[in-house]
Amino acid sequence: MKRIDFSGLESPASFCGADSDLCESFLRTPSFQLPDTLDFDGFQKEAIQMVKPIGVITTLAFIFKEGVIVAADSRASMGGYISSQSVKKIIEINPHMLGTMAGGAADCQFWHRNLGIKGPGLYYVDSEGGRLKGNRFSVGSGSPYAYGVLDSGYRYDMSIEEAAELARRSIYHATFRDGASGGTASVYYVGPDGWKKLSGDDVGELHYKYYPVGPAVVEQEMAEISIA
Amino acid sequence: MSIFEYNGSALVAMVGKNCFAIASDRRLGVQLQTIATDFQRIFKIHDKLFLGLSGLGSDTQTLHQRLVFRHKLYQLREERDMKPETFASLVSAVLYEKRFGPYFCQPVIAGLGDDDKPFICTMDSIGAKELAKDFVVAGTASESLYGACESMFKPDMEADELFETISQALLSSVDRDCLSGWGGHVYVVTPTEVTERTLKGRMD
Repeated sequence: MKRIDFSGLESPASFCGADSDLCESFLRTPSFQLPDTLDFDGFQKEAIQMVKPIGVITTLAFIFKEGVIVAADSRASMGGYISSQSVKKIIEINPHMLGTMAGGAADCQFWHRNLGIKGPGLYYVDSEGGRLKGNRFSVGSGSPYAYGVLDSGYRYDMSIEEAAELARRSIYHATFRDGASGGTASVYYVGPDGWKKLSGDDVGELHYKYYPVGPAVVEQEMAEISIA
Repeated sequence: MSIFEYNGSALVAMVGKNCFAIASDRRLGVQLQTIATDFQRIFKIHDKLFLGLSGLGSDTQTLHQRLVFRHKLYQLREERDMKPETFASLVSAVLYEKRFGPYFCQPVIAGLGDDDKPFICTMDSIGAKELAKDFVVAGTASESLYGACESMFKPDMEADELFETISQALLSSVDRDCLSGWGGHVYVVTPTEVTERTLKGRMD
C-alpha cells in the first residue's frame, strides 16, 4: 500500500525511547492511506472537482501598525444554490492564532494542524502546497472586489477602528458584486495579547447603512385640474 | 453553468381574487459577477397583460421587442388588445419557430381575461405551455420558488395580501440563490388599477 510520508513535518519522535509500547502510536510516522487505483492522478482530479464547488467565498487579512486584521464572509454555495449563510470561515486555532477558510473544509483543517507558524505573521496556504508569507492577502471568488477596496484604502499606520472598518467595507463590497459571497461579515483583530472578534455584521444591513434609501425624488406629478 | 444560468433570474406570478401579481428579481450578472441591480424582466403588453421573461438577458430583450411588435400589429388590425390566452399562444408559436436554435428564455405570462378573470401561464424555451390556477415560477431560483409558493399560497387572496405573499415568496427564494436577487419588482393588477412596487432585499 502506498503511503504519503509526512515525517518532514513532525519533529523526531525520539523522546519516548524506553516505553516503546505506549509510544508505538507516536513513533509511527503520520501518513495517509492512498487509494488503490490504477489512475491515481485522475482519481485525485475527480476528488478535487467534487469538493471545489463548496469553496467559493471571500476572505481577507492584512498586517498594519497595531497588528493583524482578519475578515471573511459566511456564505457556502454549491453551484448556484446557497447551502448556508452562516458558515464560520475564521477558525480560532488558539488564543493567538486564527485561520481563514477558502476551499474544502477538511483540507483547511488539516493544514491548520500542521502549519508550524513562527512569530507574528500572515501566511497564505493552498491545497497545492503553496505557502506565502506576506502583508496583505484576499482569497476566494470575491477577492478581486475585496482587493480593490483594500488596496485603495490601506495605510500601514491606521488605528484599529479604521482597519476594521476597511476590512468590513472590503468584505461588504465583495458580497455585493460576487454572487458566491454573502451572509455576515466577520472581522477579527489579532494583537500582542491574542485575537479578539470585533464585529459580525449582516451584509444585507450593511448595504443600507452605507447606501441608505432616501425618499424617491418626484420628477413629475399629475395635478387634478377641476373642470369648471 | 448552463446558458440559462448565465445572467441569473427569478420570476413568479400568482392568482388572487379577481387580480394577479407578477414579481421578479432585479439582478443582471455575468455568471458570479453582478453587473446591474435594476434590470427589468417584467414588461407591460397592455394594461391587463404582463409578460415576464427569465433566462439569458439579451434573448429576453430581443423576444420582448418582437412580441411587442406583433401585439402592436394585432392592435392595429383588430382595434383591440389581445386576450391573455391568445397572447400565450402567440408566444408559444414564436418560441417554437426557433425549435432548433431556441431563445434561451422562459416566459411567464399573466393577465386578466374575459370578465377580468385572472390568467397565468409559463412555458419552456421552446413554447410548451403550462397553465396553472395558482402560481407559476421561472428562473434560476425556480426550485426554491416552487417550495415557497406551495407553502405560502392561499386561493382567493385580495390584492394587499397577494402582494405580501408574493413578495415574501420571492425574497425568501432568492436569498437561497447566488444568481438572483439584489432587490425585487412586484406588479399587482386588479380590474381598476396597476400597482408597481420595488422591494428592498438583501444585496448580497
